[in-house]
Amino acid sequence: MALPPPDPQFVLRGTSAAVHTLHFSCGGQEPDVPILFSGSENGFIHVWNLKTHRVDTALDGHGRKSVYCVETMGDKTRLLSQGRDQRICLWDLAEGRTAVTDSVFTENVGFCRCSLLTVAQGRWLMAMAAKALEEVQVLELPSKTSVCTLKPEAGAKLGMPMCLKLWQLSSGSQPLLLAGYEDGSVVLWNLSMGKPLSQLACHQEPVMSLDFDSEKTKGISGSSEKVLSIWSLNEQQNLQVYKTHNLVNAGISDITIRPDKKIVATAGWDHRIRIFGWKKLKPLAVLDYHTATVHCVSFSNHKNPRERLLAAGSKDHRISIWSIYTQT
Amino acid sequence: MAVFDTPREAFGALRPACVRLTRAQTAENVWRLAARLAAVSGPALQELQEYVLFPLRFALRAPGPRRERLVQSAVRCIASVLAATAVRRPELLRELLSELCACLGPGPGPGPGAPAPPAEDVKLAVTEALHTLLHSASGDVVLSLYQPSTLPLLGFAVSLLLGLAEQERAKQLKVSALKCLQVLVLQCDCPEHQPLGDDEAQQCGDLFASFLPGISISLSRVVTGDIKQGHKPTVSAIRLFYLVVGLVMADAQLARVPKSKEKLPEKQSRISELMVHRGPDWSKSTAEKLSLLLHKMVEFSSVHPHWKVRLELVELVHHLLRNCSHSLGDSFTHLLKALVGLVNDESSEVQSRCNEVLRGIAEQRIIAQSRALADVLSENLHSLATALPRLMSSQDDTGKVSTLSLLLGYLKLLGPKINVVLNSASHLHRLSKALMQVLELDVTDVKIVEDRRWGCEGALQPGVQKGRCQKKYFRFFTEEKVFQLLQQVCRVLGYYGNLYLLVDHFMGLYSESATYRKQAAMVLNELIAGAAGVGVDVLQEREVSPNVDDLKGSVTSILDEYTDQANWYLITSIDTEEVSHEQRAVHHTGLPARAGGVCSTVLLPSPEPHATTRTMNSNIWQMCIQLEGVGCFAAVLGKEFRLLLLTALYPVLEKAGDKTLLVSETALGTLADMCEACGYGSVQLLINDNSDYLVNGISLGLRQLAQQPRASRVLDTMLRHSDASLLPLVEDVIQDVLSTLDQCYNSQASTFLRVLHSVMAALDEVPHLGKPEPNNCDTEGEAPLPSHAQLAKDVLERCIHLLSDRSLRVRLKVLDVLELCVMVLHPHGNHLLPMAHRAWPALVTRLIGDDPLAVLRAFKVLCTLAQKCGDFLRQRFSRDVLPKLTSSLLSQAPASARAGPVYNHTLAFKLQLAVLQGLGSLCEKLDMGESDLNKVADACLIYLSAKQPRKLQEAAQSVFLHLMAVDPDRTWLLLTETCCPHGYEPPHVSLRPVKLGGMGRQRHELTDNVLLLLERLRQRESAAQESPP
Repeated sequence: MALPPPDPQFVLRGTSAAVHTLHFSCGGQEPDVPILFSGSENGFIHVWNLKTHRVDTALDGHGRKSVYCVETMGDKTRLLSQGRDQRICLWDLAEGRTAVTDSVFTENVGFCRCSLLTVAQGRWLMAMAAKALEEVQVLELPSKTSVCTLKPEAGAKLGMPMCLKLWQLSSGSQPLLLAGYEDGSVVLWNLSMGKPLSQLACHQEPVMSLDFDSEKTKGISGSSEKVLSIWSLNEQQNLQVYKTHNLVNAGISDITIRPDKKIVATAGWDHRIRIFGWKKLKPLAVLDYHTATVHCVSFSNHKNPRERLLAAGSKDHRISIWSIYTQT
Repeated sequence: MAVFDTPREAFGALRPACVRLTRAQTAENVWRLAARLAAVSGPALQELQEYVLFPLRFALRAPGPRRERLVQSAVRCIASVLAATAVRRPELLRELLSELCACLGPGPGPGPGAPAPPAEDVKLAVTEALHTLLHSASGDVVLSLYQPSTLPLLGFAVSLLLGLAEQERAKQLKVSALKCLQVLVLQCDCPEHQPLGDDEAQQCGDLFASFLPGISISLSRVVTGDIKQGHKPTVSAIRLFYLVVGLVMADAQLARVPKSKEKLPEKQSRISELMVHRGPDWSKSTAEKLSLLLHKMVEFSSVHPHWKVRLELVELVHHLLRNCSHSLGDSFTHLLKALVGLVNDESSEVQSRCNEVLRGIAEQRIIAQSRALADVLSENLHSLATALPRLMSSQDDTGKVSTLSLLLGYLKLLGPKINVVLNSASHLHRLSKALMQVLELDVTDVKIVEDRRWGCEGALQPGVQKGRCQKKYFRFFTEEKVFQLLQQVCRVLGYYGNLYLLVDHFMGLYSESATYRKQAAMVLNELIAGAAGVGVDVLQEREVSPNVDDLKGSVTSILDEYTDQANWYLITSIDTEEVSHEQRAVHHTGLPARAGGVCSTVLLPSPEPHATTRTMNSNIWQMCIQLEGVGCFAAVLGKEFRLLLLTALYPVLEKAGDKTLLVSETALGTLADMCEACGYGSVQLLINDNSDYLVNGISLGLRQLAQQPRASRVLDTMLRHSDASLLPLVEDVIQDVLSTLDQCYNSQASTFLRVLHSVMAALDEVPHLGKPEPNNCDTEGEAPLPSHAQLAKDVLERCIHLLSDRSLRVRLKVLDVLELCVMVLHPHGNHLLPMAHRAWPALVTRLIGDDPLAVLRAFKVLCTLAQKCGDFLRQRFSRDVLPKLTSSLLSQAPASARAGPVYNHTLAFKLQLAVLQGLGSLCEKLDMGESDLNKVADACLIYLSAKQPRKLQEAAQSVFLHLMAVDPDRTWLLLTETCCPHGYEPPHVSLRPVKLGGMGRQRHELTDNVLLLLERLRQRESAAQESPP
C-alpha cells in the first residue's frame, strides 16, 4: 500500500507577504544553526532559524520591492539578493551585521533570477538578465567586472531570458550557461566565445524555470503549460529532447533537482509541490498544503542526508518545510 | 573538711585504727579506719598510703574462711584510699591488682564441697575497687603493667572480669565488670587518660592479641545474651568489643607487625609462648572468626528494641570501618548492611548518627579508595538486586521500607561506582524488574475515569497551581514512605549512573510492553530529575555533572517517545464523540503528536474495541505520568526548555483541554512548570509567545481527520488565552479551519463550531479598529472589510449551511456562533444585510418548527439581528413568522389550560414557553407596528389566564412587560379592557364618564395577572415621571 502523502514537517508563518525565493544554509557544523533565507514580495529577506523555526533577522534592502532571488556566497555570512528594484545586493551578515556591502544595478525590468557559480575561492560568476531585453550579462564577483554579454543573433526572436543556470562540467572546466527564453526555447551559451552552442525549443510558452544535472548532463524545464520537458546535452554539446512529462494542471513556477540528483521538486501554480524521481521522472508524491500558487522550491544542504529538507514558498505567505524521501 | 592536713597529724589519727585492724580483722575495725580516713586530707594520706593499705590488704588475706562482710568493707576502704591517692609504685599496682582479683575467685574456704563464690556485693565492690585502682595509677605506672611479663596477671584479671560480665545476673555488676575491663585494656573513655602513643598502642595490641579470642567470644555472648539483661550491658559490651578489636586488628598496627615473631629473652620463654604474633596468617584467620561473631552480633543488635544498642552498633561499624577496613574486609558485608539499614531507624538519634557516619564515609572516600569495600558493596547490591523482585512481591510495607532503604543506602554509598553494577546487564535487568514490579499502579478506581471536567472548556486559570505530582495509588504498597524511597532510588541512580545507559534501558522497557509503560515512565522522570540533581539526597558529590546538552539529548528522546501518537493518544473515556474520533485517529494514520510528520508512518495496532474501565484508568495514569514528566523535564532544563516548546507545548495544551479531570489538571500543572522553567509569568504569556508553534501544530493537525478535534481544542484553548495581537496569526489558521470544515460538514461540525465560537467570541472582544461604516451606507461601494470582519463573514457563511443540521446540539451551537458573527459584523451593515437575507429562511425554520431550545436561541439571534437591521427584519418577521407563531399560540392555549402537571414535560409546553419568552423582547427590538403588536397581545392575553400553567403565565407577563416598553398607553388600554379595578371619575361634570371594557366585571381568570401588570405599569409611569429623561 502506498503511503499517504506526508504533511509538512513544519510551516513557517510571518513573512506577511507572498514568498518568492528560498535558500538554505545548513552545511555548518554544530553549534552553527541551520538557516533558511526567504525573500518575499514586501521586499524583506527573512533569516529563519531552523532550530527555533523563528525569524532571526529580517533584512530590508530592496526598497520594499519584491525579492525574487536569494543565494549565499560560500557560507551564510555572505548573501546575494535580487529584487524588483532592479538591484542585486551583496550582504555582509557576519557577526550579526546586516549591511549591504555592494550592489549591482541591473536595469532589467523582468523577473529572471540571476545565477551564481563559484569559480574559485572567493570568486564567483554571476549571470543576469541585462538592460537590453534579450541580453544576458555575466559578471565576475566580487569585482563586478563584466565577463561577457550574451546577445542572441539578430532575428532569433527568443524574447526575454526567463531563467538562467550557470554550470560547469567539473570544477575548473569551462563555465557554461543555460538560459530559458520567453519563446519557450532553452539555449546553451559558451561564455568565452559569447556564442550559443545549441538551442532547443522545449515549450510553446515562456520557460519559467529550469535546472540542470551536470553529472548526467540532463536538464529539466517547466513553463506555463501542462508539460515538463526533459532534455539532454550530448557529447557534441547539442541539446536534444529526452522526454516530456504531461501534468494535470498547467503552470510551473520553479524546478529544483535535489543536490544528490535523486529527486526533482516542482512548484506548481495549482498550489501543489510535485516530487519526481529524477532518473525516469517517475511521479512520487504530490504535496498538497498551500492554498495559493507555489512560487519556489528549494532543498537543504544538510551534511547528514537524513536531515535534508525541502522548502516551498507560496503566494499564501507560508513556507512549508518537508522531510521527504530522505532515506532514498 | 579534712581535719588532719599534715602526715604527722594524720599518722597520729590513723595509727590506732590501723593497729587495731592488724590485730583483729573485723569489719567493724575496717569501718573504724574508714571513718578516720575521712578526716585525713589527700596529700597527707598519700604519704601514709602504703601504711594504711597494709592492714587492709592483710585483712583480705586473712586466713580461714572468707568473711564476706570483712572483705567487702576492706575492699571498699582500699578503694577509698586509692581514690584519694595515687599509686606510684608499679609493684604496688601489680600486688593490689592480683590481691583484688584474688577476691573475685572462690575463696580458699575450708568448707566442704566446692568453695562458695563470693557474694554479688563483694564482686561489685571489687570491680569498683579495681576500677579505682587503675585510675589511681599514674600513666607510667600503668604502662609498666603492660609488659609481656605481666601477661599471666593481666590474663587472670581479664578472664575474671569477662566471667563476671558474662555469667552474672546483676545488671550493675555486669556493667561494672565491663567498665573495669575497658579500663584494663586501656580504652577508658574518661578524659584523664592520654591516648596511647603509636608504639605503646602497638605493644598493647601485641599483648591483647592473646586475649582477643576470649574477649571477643565472651563479649559476643553478652551482646547476644538474654534481652532481659537490659540495654546497658549490651551497649558496654558492644563498645568494649569494637574498642578491643579496633585496637588489636587496627590496619595501622598490623601493617607494622614484623614478619617474624620477636625473640624474647630466654627466661621469658614461657611467657613468649603465650604471646601472639599478629602476622598475616593470624590476622586472616582471626578476621574470619571475628566475621562470624560480628555477623551474629549485628543480626542481633540491629533489631534490638532499645535504640541505644542500635546506636552503639552504628558506632561499632564506624569504628571498625575507620580502623580495620582492610583487616576485617569480609565482615563489612554485614556491617555495611546494618549501617545502611539503620539509616531509616525509627529513632531519630540513630538515624542522624547513621547519616553522619555514612556521610563521613563518603566524604573520606573510604569506599572509593578501598577496592575491597567497593567490591563488598557491589556484591551486596548484586545479591539484593537478585532478591529484590521476590522481596518486593512478598514483603509487607514495613519490609519494603527496610529493603528499599537498604538498596538506597548501597546506591548512595557506592556513589559513582554504581556504574559497575549497572554495567552488568543481568543486574540492571533485575533492578529494573523489581522497580517495574513494585511501581505497578492500582488502576481499579472507577472515579478516575468518571471524573470529568465540566464548565468552561479549556479555561486555564491565570494562576494555576504549580505542577505537583498527582497522588498515585499502587498495587503493592500503600505507605507513602515506600514511594519516596523508590523515588530516591531512581534519582540516585540518575545522579550517579550513566544516563544514556539508564535512559536507554528504561525506554526499552517503556516500549517493550504496556504493562511496564507507566512504571518505566515514572522511573524515567525520576532519572532525569536525579541526573539534574533535583531533589536528590546523596552522600557525596559526583565527580562530573552531565552537561546541559547531554541532559537535553536524553530529555528530547524521552519527549519524542512520550508524545508519539501511540503513547499520547490513549482512550481515556467512553465519551462517544471523543472515542469515535480517537479510534479513527488511531486507524487513520500514525503521525506523531508533535507538529510535523515524517512520511514513515507507523501502522498502529487497532485499539481494543471495548475499552474497560481498567484500561482507561491505566491510560489516564500513563497520560498523567507523561505529563508530569514533561513538567519535570522543563523544570530540569530551565530556560533551555524553550527550544523544546516547539515539540512539547502543543501536546500539553491538547491535554489541558482533555475532558478527563485528572489529565487536564495534570496538564495544567505541567503548563505551570513550563511557564516557570522558561521564565513566563503566566500561561497566557507562554501561549502568546509561542503561538506560532501552536498555530503550526493546529494547522497541521487540522489536515488529519483524526487530529481535528484535538487541534480545534488547542486552538480553542489558545484563543481563550490570546489577545488581539495574535489575530493575524489566528486568522491564518482559521482559514484552515474553515476549509477543513467545508470538506467535512457531517462528521466534525460540532467540533469546529466550538472553535468558531471561540474565534468569534475573541473577535467580538477586539476593539473594532478603524472607523465603522456609517449605518446608511447604501451608496458606498464594496469597501474591503477589515480582516476580522471578513472572517466573521466567512464564518457566518458556514453557519447558514449548518443551521439546518440534523443534530440539535449543532443547531444550538450554530445559533450561538451566528449571533456572535452578527455582533462582529455589526458595524458593516452592507455586508451584514445580505448575509441576514441569506440566513433568514433557515432561521425562520428554527423559529417555527424546531425544538423549543432552538426556538429560544433563534429568538435571541433574532433580537441581536433586530438591533442592527430592524426594518429589514420587521417586514419579514411579520410576514413569515408572526402569523404562524400567534396562530399556534392561540390554538394551543385551550390545551394547556386544561392540562395537568404532566403537561409541563411535553414538547408542546416547552414550545409555547419558548415562544412566549422570546416574543416580547423581539417585539421591542424590532419596534413592530401596531397591528403586529395587537396580534401579539391577542395571542398572549389568554395565557394570562389563571388556568394556564404557572410558567406560561409568567412568560406571558413578560411579553406584556415588553409591550409596555414599546407602547404603554395601548397596553394599558388593552389590559383595562379586560379588567379595570378603578373607576375613573371625570375631573369635570361636563366631561363624559370614562367607560372601560373591564369596569365592573366580575373577578375572572385573567384578573390576577392583569391587575399585577397594571400595577407594574403604574410603577413604571410614576418612576418615569419622577426622573424625567
